[in-house]
Amino acid sequence: MSASLLYFDRFGKPEDELAIIERAKLNPEYFAPLYRKYHEAIFRYVFKRVDEEESAYDITSCVFIKALTNLPKYEYRGIPFSSWLFRIAKSELYQSFRDKKARRTISIDSMQIGKVMEEFQIDESEHKREVLLKVLPLLKESQLQLIEMRFFEKRSFREMGEILDLTENNAKVKTFRALIKLKELYSKTNNIKN
Amino acid sequence: MIKLLIDRQLPSSDAIAARRNFSEILHGLPKKKTINSPWFYGAIGFSSVIFLILLNFFV
Repeated sequence: MSASLLYFDRFGKPEDELAIIERAKLNPEYFAPLYRKYHEAIFRYVFKRVDEEESAYDITSCVFIKALTNLPKYEYRGIPFSSWLFRIAKSELYQSFRDKKARRTISIDSMQIGKVMEEFQIDESEHKREVLLKVLPLLKESQLQLIEMRFFEKRSFREMGEILDLTENNAKVKTFRALIKLKELYSKTNNIKN
Repeated sequence: MIKLLIDRQLPSSDAIAARRNFSEILHGLPKKKTINSPWFYGAIGFSSVIFLILLNFFV
């Protein structure tokens, strides 16, 4: 199954949601099905980027309040509603980092580090893994976001583009550049350590 | 400083669902400002009448 099909399978067809959105623009109570549908996905997105669970719940609530407040301005232009919500989540996250209500965190599974190492064509060892984890926070925030979405959240380039307001191709190119940068940082640090 | 968390335990779907509260979201929406005071409408009406009278005098 292609990545885009998996994406729509996960979030449903956009046409199904448009009717709910139009009704919710007139009466916010009609938004409930969309809230139930996306609450978990938005929470997981936020949770992986903050250090405290409670902050993640608070930010998730703020995302939906902001979404409902701005719903009258929402127009479907080929971008799924979920991506619009993720964009709001992204801006709410950065707002809370600026306000120091939450701390920027990267949540990684050991398995996913292996995937990045595979991409670098470096054999897995405890030392190399340590070096990679050490250099990861040295990336620019925009590059970190791409690596996070692609390798730690397994998002398609299309989905990444929609969330980050990039074309699919641009997301691909920027992820590739972020990987090169990460590899450079890794090589430098690894050489110093050796 | 960015914090790295390895193999962090994500809350289960049930735990996340238990924290869903749509009424809290509705409650958090900014209240629409409505002007219900008769003074507001009276002031507009009164100034309109004065304006029309003055317009009658000068035109």
